[in-house]
Amino acid sequence: MSKSKGRKRKNEDEYDLQTILEDDISNDGTTEAAVPQASGRNAEKNDDGIQEDEYGAKDYRMHLELKTDHSSRPLYVAPNGHIFLETFSPVYKNAHDFLIAISEPVCRPEHIHEYKLTAYSLYAAVSVGLQTHDIIEYLRRLCKTSIPKGIEEFIKLCTLSYGKVKLVLKHNRYFIESPHPEILQKLLKDPVIQQCRLKRTEENMGEEFIKSQQNMKGVTFGQKTTVEEPEGNNEKNQVPEDLQKLIDNEEEEEEVNLETVSFEVDQEKIEIIQKRCIEIDHPLLAEYDFRNDTINKDINIDLKPAAVLRPYQEKSLRKMFGNGRARSGVIVLPCGAGKSLVGVTACCTVRKRALVLCNSGVSVEQWKQQFKMWSTADDSMICRFTSEAKDKPMGCGILITTYSMITHTQKRSWEAEQTMKWLQEQEWGIMVLDEVHTIPAKMFRRVLTIVQSHCKLGLTATLLREDDKIADLNFLIGPKLYEANWLELQKNGYIARVACAEVWCPMTAEFYREYLIAKVSKRMLLYVMNPNKFRMCQYLIQYHERRGDKIIVFSDNVFALKHYAKKMNKPYIYGPTLQNERIQILQNFKFNPKVNTIFVSKVADTSFDLPEANVLIQISSHGGSRRQEAQRLGRILRAKKGSFAEEYNAFFYTLVSQDTMEMSYSRKRQRFLVNQGYSYKVITHLSGMDEDQSLFYKTREEQGQLLQQVLAASDIDCEDEKVPGEIGGSRPGTSRKTGGFSSLSGADNEVYFEQKKKSSVQHPLFKRFR
Amino acid sequence: MSSKKGSSAASQVVHLECKNLHSYLKSQTQIISKLYEEPSICLAAYRDLPEIAKQFVIRMLCVEQPVPQAVVQSWGSQVYAKENLAACEALTELRIWTEASISGGLTAWDLTPSFKRNLKIAWLGGGRSWSMFNSVEQNDAKSRDISFLDNYAMSRWNCLLHYMVDSNASKGSEMEGISVDAVRIILHANLMNRNEQDGSYMLTSQGFQFLLMDTQSQVWHFMLQYLNTCEQRGLSLVDCLSMLFQLSFSTLGRDYSSEGLSENMQTFLQHLREFGLVYQRTRKERRFFPTRLALNFTTKNAIVPENIIENGNINNNINKLQQSDDTNYEKGYIIVETNYRVYAYTDSKLQISLLALFTELLYRFPNVTVGVITRDSIRQALRGGITSRQIISYLEQHAHPKMIANASTSSFKTTSFLPPTVIDQIKLWENERNRFSFIDGVVYNQFLSEADFMTLRDYAQSIDVLLWQNERTRTMVVKKTGHEDVKKFWKRYSKG
Repeated sequence: MSKSKGRKRKNEDEYDLQTILEDDISNDGTTEAAVPQASGRNAEKNDDGIQEDEYGAKDYRMHLELKTDHSSRPLYVAPNGHIFLETFSPVYKNAHDFLIAISEPVCRPEHIHEYKLTAYSLYAAVSVGLQTHDIIEYLRRLCKTSIPKGIEEFIKLCTLSYGKVKLVLKHNRYFIESPHPEILQKLLKDPVIQQCRLKRTEENMGEEFIKSQQNMKGVTFGQKTTVEEPEGNNEKNQVPEDLQKLIDNEEEEEEVNLETVSFEVDQEKIEIIQKRCIEIDHPLLAEYDFRNDTINKDINIDLKPAAVLRPYQEKSLRKMFGNGRARSGVIVLPCGAGKSLVGVTACCTVRKRALVLCNSGVSVEQWKQQFKMWSTADDSMICRFTSEAKDKPMGCGILITTYSMITHTQKRSWEAEQTMKWLQEQEWGIMVLDEVHTIPAKMFRRVLTIVQSHCKLGLTATLLREDDKIADLNFLIGPKLYEANWLELQKNGYIARVACAEVWCPMTAEFYREYLIAKVSKRMLLYVMNPNKFRMCQYLIQYHERRGDKIIVFSDNVFALKHYAKKMNKPYIYGPTLQNERIQILQNFKFNPKVNTIFVSKVADTSFDLPEANVLIQISSHGGSRRQEAQRLGRILRAKKGSFAEEYNAFFYTLVSQDTMEMSYSRKRQRFLVNQGYSYKVITHLSGMDEDQSLFYKTREEQGQLLQQVLAASDIDCEDEKVPGEIGGSRPGTSRKTGGFSSLSGADNEVYFEQKKKSSVQHPLFKRFR
Repeated sequence: MSSKKGSSAASQVVHLECKNLHSYLKSQTQIISKLYEEPSICLAAYRDLPEIAKQFVIRMLCVEQPVPQAVVQSWGSQVYAKENLAACEALTELRIWTEASISGGLTAWDLTPSFKRNLKIAWLGGGRSWSMFNSVEQNDAKSRDISFLDNYAMSRWNCLLHYMVDSNASKGSEMEGISVDAVRIILHANLMNRNEQDGSYMLTSQGFQFLLMDTQSQVWHFMLQYLNTCEQRGLSLVDCLSMLFQLSFSTLGRDYSSEGLSENMQTFLQHLREFGLVYQRTRKERRFFPTRLALNFTTKNAIVPENIIENGNINNNINKLQQSDDTNYEKGYIIVETNYRVYAYTDSKLQISLLALFTELLYRFPNVTVGVITRDSIRQALRGGITSRQIISYLEQHAHPKMIANASTSSFKTTSFLPPTVIDQIKLWENERNRFSFIDGVVYNQFLSEADFMTLRDYAQSIDVLLWQNERTRTMVVKKTGHEDVKKFWKRYSKG
């Protein structure tokens, strides 16, 4: 009995990876169909015709004209959509806010940021209310040079049809609304849409629209913290006049009433009309006028007075509730920067039934804690719906569950069945989707068909996926509303200042010999189990434990995880660890001064909230995944108390075995964080390590024994742990060429030859230099 | 059995040798006594000495007899014996003093008479006056201010550098060309060489390294090369050197007369004018102004425009000459980011092409160039003979004011304005190339029997010269230094 129960839990809680993958693949065709054509446009090719100079750089000098007062303007726009912004410009703050709205950040180090205009980013821009004309005009004024022609066209192409039409739920009736009557006229000429139009009364048969005035009054969130920044007058003097005027205007703009026209549509045909609108390149933006929703009753929930929003949290929420209605979209904040508070505040602002989806049982508990901490909600209002905790849903205002619980397809327990039924019948005010980047598009679609919700808020730290499917989220949830700058938050002390280091561990000769001749699958185990790496890891743990730090060690490889943890006698958590054991270990880590180090597998990558930890050591990782790197860094990002004196208050070590595949993976993994302005210090030698007698694997014999163990390990041990709910993707290094060893050596008429590729762009000086 | 000689495969890249004044004087052994006939050279040599050596010279200057070495030794504390020794050595090397024996069998130090006499003259006056300090006219008319001179000097110097970068492309275009003499010096210094086939000039690896140096070192190196060839031009080395040092003791912004100069020195002055070391309105005019380039010629620490002494106190080893924040000199223009991006606020062809030596350029905007430092781009530079140190120092010299400002406001101690990770990585990329170590060796193979092989191998091993061996193929490699011994042993062994 107990055995079957355990099995069932697994089925319910953990979505089978394989089905997700298959679903994702099989559904690819339809995914693409649901995305408007314009999204396929790309500015990257706009500069194909541009000549390259003698160094192989794209030479824009002929095409752009430098303004005479260029030094007081902050940015350059390249014809391929890349934008460079000087952070030391006096108008940096305004330019930065504007660029975040219209483009994607590429990299944001200290002095000069790079952004990129994409179809999606422009879609997001118009959906938060920016107009085509304004975008071009503002860009023109900010730019040091003239705006490239192609860019102007690109902006027009991507914005003219987007964001003009909204689907609004008001007084429980659906309206298609737009400030531009001509576009509604155009829509109504379409036979499909015509059919969907709902005509209430006979008198209203004409083509008249319902005119209304929309009050763009903003929403306030809890206790306001207005930090007025003292702006030096002398600074303003440097700003060109036209630019200053524009900036001043922008600040006033929010209080304008907008004339809109609308017509009502049939609730039953919403799906059809949405699809049709995308087809004719006018995607509908979903907005929820929650204040005028009288059918769904308000829930009694407010922010506690103690809950104070940080400026960037408020800014992100203002984007969401900018015009007094709730928009759907994604908010990107670094881990530890207070995503949960944003989610809680959004729920408290809408004050309708809220559904929170996250990706593990542990984070369900953490979300509940967050609600109780920041809002007036108590136990009776919050219902958890997981395989382990099934609270009574009836009458509650907030339901917290996991993605896999909702999308579970096999048989459920009777209790769960009832809850699901109830859940499906509800009209949810807001749906909060935590760690939104981890979920396959297919799973989303299933969630969206099951749950009826008026607006959706996605929360994530890294809008980044190795398979580039992230773009789909734009149309499944909504555009990206806000993305915070990591370095700025770090400077202001909202997140920890992390010192990143890559520690190079030389392979021992014996291990390296085996590495060179081993099968691809075994190699990974060899470089993870490298005795030098073990010693390095042990040394770092001892060093930081002496300092009184709390350390998490990550290993994707379970064999290594167990071996390291057992050898050093530390607790460890991995997939099969039971829920209450996990919580027990985490509690001990939090409160027990004797437990300062824990070993975890990739189950802890996301949403394990460990505010105490400030040192992270990574001994094995999932290939070149940039997302995993960022997520892991997030585990130690939560701001540390009272340690401002030191330059860094958190440490992130990646141990890599020298001269192995790990080195190139490591470089690839770091790209995202490097683009956020983080820098990795390479450590090749730790002083004092050789003298330390307490480290294991000092002698050759010990190392030899370890090698024997590694060689004896089974194939399963060599693999990364498979964690449900993650996006698959090919495992590192498993691309195999057909044909055996003999074919490579030429036995099958295959010839091995080397091609020396000359670097295509040679410096002209070197050409002369022999 | 046969033995082959292996050779190391590392192709040696010539590194540009940049002597300082000390080592230059040291190398002029034949004429050094002649040099000390000139007060200005004595003064310059004195100024270049270590502090302790200066003390020694002053104490002995007015002593008219040799000073016992024991006495000299007693002047310094035992704790600093090493420093004392170094000072003594420097003085000996430059032949400022010589060993002499005095009564009682003691050895003593005796200042070289010419040096002693002329240093006194330099300080106390007397002797014939320095030629160019003759008859200074009233300097009110048409005097030039310092910023004008600075601009002039830099534009002339850049002209030379431009030529090196771009000798073939833009002949006689907007910038003035340089004289045949200058080209000859460049060729002589092996900074460029001539392509036999088409007669065009191309930069050598030393040329690249030269371009990456700071201006002061460039001037110094270049002038040394000039001096090496001046005898061929019929100029006296001693006179030229004396004149150069006189210039370096002159005052910036003051004019000097060229009246008393000999014919040869007039020619030399025209050369200096071409390189921007002096300013003269016309060839015929009898007045000239030394520029900062000439003033900084010998000094270890460049003379800096006053306004930046205040705020530029971050890093001593960078050449502050180029970071003055007024318009006299070029401002730093390079921003290096932690993600290896490089932004250069310049449209100068010279600067861009230098940057392109070690960065991959991505975009050219009207006044900024965007590039990125990659492993490949750095390796290409390293292959061209540039060292990581040169790259880093070039980036530091030309760092954008914003980077300098950030480095000085940050509370953490930094040794450079550049992101430390970028510096580390560039060095690591260089080290990457040096992971092979080369040992010259000799291969022994084709042994007739296993026993022969074993015997020789064991012998090589016993005298610790065996590098590698393989029993199956009966091959072994011994160190080149051990080759003779092994060969002898083998002869003895095979004979009987």
